[in-house]
Amino acid sequence: MNELIRPYVLLFALCCVSQTALAQLQAVTPTAATQTDKKIPIGFLELKTDSRYEPVRAYERLILKKPEHPFPGAQVGIEDAKSQQRAIGAEITLERMTAATAQDAPALLKAAIERGMNYVLLDVPSDTYKSLVEIAKGRDVILFNVSVPEDILRRDVCARELVHVFPSQAQMSDALVQFLVSKKWRDYLVLQGPDPYDDLITKAFTKSAQKFGARIVANQRFQPGTDPRQREKNNPALLSAINKDWDVTFIADKAFEFARQVPFQTVKPRPVVGAIGLETVAWHWTWEHNGAAQVNSRFSRYAPNRKMEGADWAAWMAVKMVATSALRSRSTEFKPIRDFMMGPGTFDADKGLAVSVRAWDHQLRQAVLLAGDYYVSASAPLEGFLHRTNELDSLGDDETDTPCHLNR
Amino acid sequence: MKIMTALRLTGMTLGISLTAALCLSASAMAKGTGYIFVSNEKTNNIIVLESKTLKLVKDLKTSRRPRDMHFSDDHTKLYVACGDDDVIDIIDVAKLEVIGKIATGSSPEAFMVDEQKRRIYVSNEEGSSMSIIDMDQQITLAEVPTGAEPEGVWLAPDRKTVYVTSEVGDLIHHIDLEAGHVIEDVVVGTRPRRFAATPDGNELWVTTELSGEVWIIDRGPFKVLGKIEFFPPGMRKTDVTPVGITMTSDGKTAYVTLGHAAHVAVVDVPSKKTLSYILVGKRSWGITLSKDEKTLYVANGLGDDITVIDVASRKAVTSVPVGRIPYSVVIDE
Repeated sequence: MNELIRPYVLLFALCCVSQTALAQLQAVTPTAATQTDKKIPIGFLELKTDSRYEPVRAYERLILKKPEHPFPGAQVGIEDAKSQQRAIGAEITLERMTAATAQDAPALLKAAIERGMNYVLLDVPSDTYKSLVEIAKGRDVILFNVSVPEDILRRDVCARELVHVFPSQAQMSDALVQFLVSKKWRDYLVLQGPDPYDDLITKAFTKSAQKFGARIVANQRFQPGTDPRQREKNNPALLSAINKDWDVTFIADKAFEFARQVPFQTVKPRPVVGAIGLETVAWHWTWEHNGAAQVNSRFSRYAPNRKMEGADWAAWMAVKMVATSALRSRSTEFKPIRDFMMGPGTFDADKGLAVSVRAWDHQLRQAVLLAGDYYVSASAPLEGFLHRTNELDSLGDDETDTPCHLNR
Repeated sequence: MKIMTALRLTGMTLGISLTAALCLSASAMAKGTGYIFVSNEKTNNIIVLESKTLKLVKDLKTSRRPRDMHFSDDHTKLYVACGDDDVIDIIDVAKLEVIGKIATGSSPEAFMVDEQKRRIYVSNEEGSSMSIIDMDQQITLAEVPTGAEPEGVWLAPDRKTVYVTSEVGDLIHHIDLEAGHVIEDVVVGTRPRRFAATPDGNELWVTTELSGEVWIIDRGPFKVLGKIEFFPPGMRKTDVTPVGITMTSDGKTAYVTLGHAAHVAVVDVPSKKTLSYILVGKRSWGITLSKDEKTLYVANGLGDDITVIDVASRKAVTSVPVGRIPYSVVIDE
């Protein structure tokens, strides 16, 4: 709001409130009429040192990406739940818990559960999950995965206490291939990096290609560097000089060093997807349907210096799932809230079809966005990809695709 | 309850409005022009059409992102909430010109005008509040906190009560205007959007976009009476995203736009049964009945056009291109 063209004169204000922005923050403060002693505490558990949040650098002073913890997303969720307090009959609160190391995280979680925290958002790397699930086992707690896509958590860790709000690798690669197939782009050149994560991503992409009738025409392993003796492995033009034609170049590159060199450097003019170009995301700051613009705008109040991303959306969504389940089950108790969330509960995710928890692996079924830098090119599931019960289940592990059967 | 009791005054708009008020007294007796007004969110304009020929009368520039529109009681003025400039534009219906602006909260979306009390009640989508505005002084008297993304506003005939939907909260707020705050909520389906009311004012009908329903609420005692689901032919349940709703003056028939399902549902109000579905354009939202209730106009948000429906035959007669992302349709008659 522009102060110059809209000068507000405050007549009755006791103290000077000169900013309408401040006025709006006050407008959502809990009020006397909504005050209640009952609380539903939600925790946000993160690690002080988490390599996923290290800046991605080209070299020391050239920072390419600066990932941030999704805590502001949870804060927006709490703000949104404020107006529901009166109807829920309890205040939903948020506590940020930072473990010094991965080894300290289980004790922190245990203490939180023991003081009555039934809902904890996990913002920890995938290898920390097993120890946390051990603590949670059999207790009245739901752990929300808000930032890890690895399929292994859904398929092998497979725990009753976990809900994966963040989309899985399988959901995201299915979304990407659905989009490519919808354009009739069916032949892919894969450029795979040396990181074990690149292998996971490539496997998921290959599986999705098989699922939707597309082909990997070549899988080229790259090795970042400038060594001329290794040019067959570090030069995008040479890596793409294959003896077959292809439609799209897919890059698996966690390090992101090589990926950024690939667009416009392949021997043939082919679009680039995966680590760069068209990316698969849970959320994008340019998504403007389904009320998303308003969510992005509320997010910017808590994180003014960056755009809302997938993990922020998942943290926001997790808080919203707790609030909505309390509202709909008309209870502040754990069991009815959990039963609603894991059972009939559907939630407004601000990205298309209503989302819900899959009974078999507790993955949130959801739309996945295919985004370039400034536009969401498509939202998957794409039109025409049908499913016998819910189109959202055309993405990721269906009941028959997974070894995880929490519903049996 | 912490209410924004601070009175806000914009010097700029006050001057304009006083001049406007003087000029307008002469045209106060204007008869209905028969013009159709369509607000367009993306092109910042109102497309004015002649109702018989559907020919363009004027492309009327407004403040940015015009959405909900209401006439003054004598139809000399048209008010339009402009979301990206945080104002309600005042349009002279005879001159087809913007003659003033009233400051609102952040991103005004829908509103109601109470001319007896000279008040405007407007939902501020980004501000999570409803502003109570004094139309004469053009100042905000109070900003009532609501749930996030408030939209539909309905003023009860007693002028003491306003109802507001919160899209994010899944709530209908009951605001007591004397108390100046929400006194009770009722929980409805997911993403409640807009209201219609039975002529006696006893029942509120609310569209819930994401759960694909219309919820029916008894105003006293404030409780849910039931809900209606929609199954337009050839459409999946998930495409059914009701937003716009209007009711005939005899309270017998309601018309509900079904958003992505590209149909209007015709509902028999007493039995709460859906009688038929009428095919319209992409993402149909705003809906208006002509005064004689023979014609329906539907704004198709993702079709950049309006669909004109013959009520008797329940058929779309024609569609007319307007601006980009049409939001609302009103008729001066």
